[in-house]
Amino acid sequence: MADSGMTERHAQKRGKGRPRNSDAAAQSLAAILNLVRTGAANTRQELERESELGRAIVADRLATLSELELVDESALAEATGGRAPRLTQFNAARARILVATLDQTALGVGLADLSGKLITEHHEALDLNAPAETTAERLSALFEWLFDKDERKAPLWGLGISAPGPVQFSRGDNFLSATPTFLPAWDGFPFIERLTQRFGVPVWMRSSVETMTVGELHAGAGAGVDDMLFVKVGKRIGAGFVFEGRLYRGAQGAAGLIGQLPTVVGDRTAPLDMLAGSDMIAREGLAAAREGTSPALADILKRGGDITAIDVGQAAQIGDPVSMEILSRSGRLIGHLVATLANMLNPSLIVLSGSIAQTNDILLAAVREAVYGESHPLVTRDLRISASRMGSSAGLVGAAKVVSEALFEPGFLREWIIHGAPSAMPRFKQMLDAASAEVAHPLAAETPAPPPAAPPKPN
Amino acid sequence: MPITGLGPHGERAAPPSRLTLTPDDVAAAEGRHFKVAIVLHTGESDWSRQQLAGIVGTLGDCTAIVTEVVDCGFRADAQIAALERLSREPLDAIISIPVGNAAVADAHRKVSRAGIRLILHDNVPTGMLPGMDYTSLISADNFGLGLIGAELLAPHVPKGGEIGLMTYGVDFYATNEREIAFGRWMVAQRPDLTVRTIRFPSLEAVRETTLSMIEANPGLAGLFVVWDTPAMEAIAALEGAEHNLPVTTVDLGREAAICLAQERLVVGIAAQQPFQQGVAVAEAAILSLLGRTVPGWIALPGLAVTKDNVAESYQTVWRSHAPQEILAAL
Repeated sequence: MADSGMTERHAQKRGKGRPRNSDAAAQSLAAILNLVRTGAANTRQELERESELGRAIVADRLATLSELELVDESALAEATGGRAPRLTQFNAARARILVATLDQTALGVGLADLSGKLITEHHEALDLNAPAETTAERLSALFEWLFDKDERKAPLWGLGISAPGPVQFSRGDNFLSATPTFLPAWDGFPFIERLTQRFGVPVWMRSSVETMTVGELHAGAGAGVDDMLFVKVGKRIGAGFVFEGRLYRGAQGAAGLIGQLPTVVGDRTAPLDMLAGSDMIAREGLAAAREGTSPALADILKRGGDITAIDVGQAAQIGDPVSMEILSRSGRLIGHLVATLANMLNPSLIVLSGSIAQTNDILLAAVREAVYGESHPLVTRDLRISASRMGSSAGLVGAAKVVSEALFEPGFLREWIIHGAPSAMPRFKQMLDAASAEVAHPLAAETPAPPPAAPPKPN
Repeated sequence: MPITGLGPHGERAAPPSRLTLTPDDVAAAEGRHFKVAIVLHTGESDWSRQQLAGIVGTLGDCTAIVTEVVDCGFRADAQIAALERLSREPLDAIISIPVGNAAVADAHRKVSRAGIRLILHDNVPTGMLPGMDYTSLISADNFGLGLIGAELLAPHVPKGGEIGLMTYGVDFYATNEREIAFGRWMVAQRPDLTVRTIRFPSLEAVRETTLSMIEANPGLAGLFVVWDTPAMEAIAALEGAEHNLPVTTVDLGREAAICLAQERLVVGIAAQQPFQQGVAVAEAAILSLLGRTVPGWIALPGLAVTKDNVAESYQTVWRSHAPQEILAAL
């Protein structure tokens, strides 16, 4: 494996008498860290109460967590009578998370702390039809730039990728050991293996709808909301569901593919993606520009040589009637479906996202009209419907949250905490060796035929 | 020229024409006598003076009063103190150029929470959202400026050479975009060149950074500096050390334009249009105060300036004729 220089070279040493490699020690360390991390306990007394562990064990585990620089006890809490107790605070700056969003027309990258909070982000145009190798290299170069720019120089602990299609749910496996199918054009390209090998840390991947939903829930309009419906309108139309504060992923991680649903317009039936997605908006806009029915779009076509859905959105925003009608039509179709979902799920917030929804208010107005007109009064009584303000940042924040939550998921945390860092745990090291072999000899790994008998197990 | 970069949240740029004030808008604003404060990262650059002229003049046309112009001198603590004080004043809008990233984010959020419209120019701290934490960002196409800087430098560098990318050590959206774009262009168009990135922590440190750079990399065959003020410092250091190196930078400041015309190391400049950006900033402030929707990100394209077009570019950027030092050198 190449040494990226980003991960820690050695696991932290523990002091004499500290817990050794035992399940009990790892369990109590993980429990205490998560109580501190989530803010459930902020002092030693609160930790003893919440964890139901004795004072000596709490003190010992805190000493270990302090040595690992995951907990900081340097500040004092407010005194409530006697001496002020020490605050136990999670050190989110202990390590970094790198995240990326791959979209049809753009690439976004970000650097986050261990709480999932974004520190820096960057977005640039990129054609996802370019060779996978080129895109992966660009993404890695930007990751290295972000990491190098970070003044704090904290080590890297994980990568999160937001992919443009559904990513198969891998139950029981906390990080990816192989590249899942997420984009037909990337089939066979060892994307995850290369990232793992180059950066030496575990990688997680989710669909962009999932990451954007999580991002919106934590840092956007969904902050403090328990039941949310998130709808992304782009080339594909997808939905993210939040029930009781948690993302619903479905059995395979494919929940929310609403763009696949057959939709009827006149005597034509086609998937919603085709009838209301950005390809339709661009196509109708191009036709209007060529036919001369929209002078605004004809002018854009003359200057730029092409019409995108965003051009139609911007033309609609300045009052071009043809563009407004194209977007209204799309909005009504999406709105019918969103109204159905709203009646089924009774969310308190519906967020529309994607570049079209952010470019203008017409899509939002059409969706609102359909939802309010077609829903039970109780469903719409306190319902808010808004456009996302986060744009592609939602995907980055969501990907960072996914990694943050995965790193500190109790089972996974117990596995790595005694080694000091996730990249130091034996299971990951084995996987890293395998990834190195795959990257070095990608064809060799493909050669053996899969065993025919047993059905695949979730890994 | 098309906008090549994306906004701080991946937005596609809206053109400044989206902000054009109609006679009705101006008439509506005239009756309101809006009060606006301006908080600059620095007032000590030609760019700052030009954009300030654009802001103040346009606000004046709408009878909006500029109550105060704060020069933060690139200091986060000065900006935080200014924003906290101004948030308690009876202002309608604050126009600000954040001096950094996370350090000044909360102070900017306080402005919006106080019910004052916040228009950002050039930079957005990570995590701040349009329509929620601020009204709109107006900036140059900084990614495009980095591409221009690379394209203008490349012909002056021999095959297989080493070039320096001198950039700001502070996390700042505009300079980050220029730096990333410069590197991307070189990888795509001149993969034969090796790019050495050198970061300066402050303007005061640029001369020393430059000398360290040429000592560590004596074979450097070109240099891109992310804006003109440090570029002039770097050129002073290079000239002092009698080290000849083709340089490109961003912003057509007076001194940089003279160096370009007189062929003193500068071989090209990616120019912003600070006056026009200032006009757009003021228009965004007025429109939002009138309750009109303004886009989250408005970007203006950069201009590629060489010795061949420096005089007319100077006129475009400065809205005045080029100084004699430039005209005499052409």
